[in-house]
Amino acid sequence: MDILANFMGGLATVLQPENLLYCFVGVFLGTFIGVLPGIGSMAAIAMILPLSFYLDPTAALVMIAGVYYGAEYGGSIASILMNIPGTPSSSITCIDGYPMAQSGRAGVALFVTSIASFGGGIIGMIVMAVLSPALASLALSFGPAEYFSVILLGLIAASAVSNGGAVKGIAMVIAGLMLGTVGIDLTTGDLRFTLGIPELRDGVNLVIVAMGLFGVGELIASIRANRAGRGQQEIDYSQFYPTRAEWRASIGPIWRGGIIGSFFGALPGTGQTVASAVGYAVEKKVSKNAANFGKGAVEGVVVPESANNSATQTAFIPTLTLGVPGSASMAMVIGALMIHGITPGPRVLTDHPDLFWGLVASFLVGNIMLLILNIPLIGIWVKLLQVPYKLMYPTIIVLICIGVYSLNNNVFDIWLTLLFGVIGYLMRMFRFEPAPLLIGFVLGPMMEEQMRRAMLLSRGDPMVFLERPISGALIAVTVCVLIFGLWSTLYGRRRSRRLAALAASE
Amino acid sequence: MNLQPKKGNFMRLLTLTRRSAIALAIAAPITLPAAIALAEPGAWSDEPVRIIVTFPPGGTSDLVARLLAKHLDENFGQKAVVDNRPGAAGTVAADYIQQQDPDGTALMIANNAPFTIAPTQFESLPYDPMADFTHIAYIGASAPGLFVKPDSGITTVAEFVDAAKANSVSYGSSGVGSISHILGKAVDAKLGIETLHVPYQGSAPAIQDFRAGVLDTFYDMVAQNSEMIEDGEAVAIAIAASERFPGVPDVPTFTEQGYDIVIENWVGLSGPAGIDPATAEKIRETTLAVFALPEVTAALEDLGITHKAMSGAEYTDFVKKQIDVWKPLIVAAGVQGK
Repeated sequence: MDILANFMGGLATVLQPENLLYCFVGVFLGTFIGVLPGIGSMAAIAMILPLSFYLDPTAALVMIAGVYYGAEYGGSIASILMNIPGTPSSSITCIDGYPMAQSGRAGVALFVTSIASFGGGIIGMIVMAVLSPALASLALSFGPAEYFSVILLGLIAASAVSNGGAVKGIAMVIAGLMLGTVGIDLTTGDLRFTLGIPELRDGVNLVIVAMGLFGVGELIASIRANRAGRGQQEIDYSQFYPTRAEWRASIGPIWRGGIIGSFFGALPGTGQTVASAVGYAVEKKVSKNAANFGKGAVEGVVVPESANNSATQTAFIPTLTLGVPGSASMAMVIGALMIHGITPGPRVLTDHPDLFWGLVASFLVGNIMLLILNIPLIGIWVKLLQVPYKLMYPTIIVLICIGVYSLNNNVFDIWLTLLFGVIGYLMRMFRFEPAPLLIGFVLGPMMEEQMRRAMLLSRGDPMVFLERPISGALIAVTVCVLIFGLWSTLYGRRRSRRLAALAASE
Repeated sequence: MNLQPKKGNFMRLLTLTRRSAIALAIAAPITLPAAIALAEPGAWSDEPVRIIVTFPPGGTSDLVARLLAKHLDENFGQKAVVDNRPGAAGTVAADYIQQQDPDGTALMIANNAPFTIAPTQFESLPYDPMADFTHIAYIGASAPGLFVKPDSGITTVAEFVDAAKANSVSYGSSGVGSISHILGKAVDAKLGIETLHVPYQGSAPAIQDFRAGVLDTFYDMVAQNSEMIEDGEAVAIAIAASERFPGVPDVPTFTEQGYDIVIENWVGLSGPAGIDPATAEKIRETTLAVFALPEVTAALEDLGITHKAMSGAEYTDFVKKQIDVWKPLIVAAGVQGK
């Protein structure tokens, strides 16, 4: 009952007016960004990051988290109405959401996705509340060898279960690892690949890479590809509420999606997109209604939305208990906490219980706010999709520039963002996914740091990774994941080709 | 290609942000020059003064800058804004400052990294730490120390030497070329021992690994870790200051234990070269007046900084001497000429 008491304490924290306000700002902004095709939660987090420096750490974290899961609610709207995913992970929602809208059931689809997102979010929250304290107490004894093994597992998992072409995916992870080596070598102080530019001594800032590849790059691509309101399906508000049969059909998928999402969210390296893709594939296998998948099955929109939302909540587990971010967005959360002098890791739970439990409780409050924002107020978001892109996108670009500039108050960073924007656009043209690159970029330097530290402390003996029990067990799991990945590449060609086509359409 | 930020770009961006209401909400941290007060006694400019900090918000330098800015405005009618420009060990901020007009409206919180460590550590610098700056006022210094595990039974430096000679001892620092790393090298040299340096990104992760039992010892600012000492989680066996610190009076110095090791982590106020001596003197007097306020003295003590008043010439001489003090230590740490 300890967890319940802690949770109530967190609820008291989050119900303070200031925290409530920032929770609302977060989920509102998240939905807003999620609705807009092309840019995801990462862009929104990067834009509010400078603002968060001036808030109390709990308010800052609650707000950033709100953006993160709020975007998953908003992301489904464009998927259903226009067949354009608002966020990468809601691309799976297009498969059944758009056919539903075409057959005049857009209202029902939007309603059930909100309910599914809520259900997934609550499942993720419970998993986080139960699992985190246990993981944190285990992680108290973690040393560099254990951290190295956890990160290695994350990287391997990311490339083994990622949903693009395998070769291109691995190439992108490696490109990310290489990009991560720019800057001062932490162990020797040598400069690596800085090209004599002083701004590059500290490496390339994550926000810049993320904003460039995902924000600017996606925007350029969207300008070419999409027009505001194009092919948007009307909502018939008389058919907004699901029928009793549809309710009944949704309950099982919400549970399954929530549990699958919780698992992939908590695993570093994978995230909402993998969670919703796997959730959809599993549901298609177990559902009695499998024949209708792809033709507008309710289950087909419920599962991915439940999965991606629970994944956004459990993504905070490794971030806060180990200090290992599973994605670029989570790396930004870590950056935001470091600014406040809080080092994410196993001590967060004991040293800052207010912060941790406040965040967990904010998931409940934020998800309720989102339910209100997405069911009675759905009309606002639908209208937003009709704002001409020629007004919307330049505004977003300006906001991105301000967000990037205010990181270091340095104009150089804006130019660098532009450069990454062009690279991101070219990558999209040639069907290279930016997500694995970003994961390599985030986890690579951490993995290198921990590995070299472990080797220093073991006085150069590499057996330390296998001899320490937790590290050894993690390495064993990594090998299993690797074997599974190879096996499914060799024997599951057809399936992976279909997933690749899906990823390409994102 | 010159990629340095110019003042013009900064001002253009400011006007841009003023035009857009949404942008304003996002750019809230940039305080806009509101009604400009006429110069009051103690104020040296009608314009708001920008105090550049070489770190992101939240660290000691930042807190000192914010204390100064707040009290300059409240007590002396001198508007002041804190501007964080982190990057490349403070050299981005120092390079920026040397390009500003020397009218006293652009100043920086100076510290070891860009002025006494970078000139030796970096192969080339875009500025000269003495010729390109007006060093105006010394603010104060804190001191790092050596922390060991309580169950190690070590309480003095002499016992530490014995332990390090018997077994290989590791220490965590807040990074290669950081003050804690350099202190570690200085201790090795003075004590005639060899310890294993394990660098981290900042002191917090190093302390986390120390608590997890990964590291035998670590070096960090003593006053900032007083809580750990009180809770019995770490023992500070020596501080690298010339005398004991008021905040942690039980921690002896290296010097009183017979080892002459003094490493100060100082902060001061500096500006671009060519600030008119009368203006510089006025800035110094007002700054010293701020740091003499009881409220500010108490806040500095919480940060573990001992304040000392110096004349402008004394401070300039101090920075110059510090470069010479640090040079052999940086060379010994093996991080010169990078």
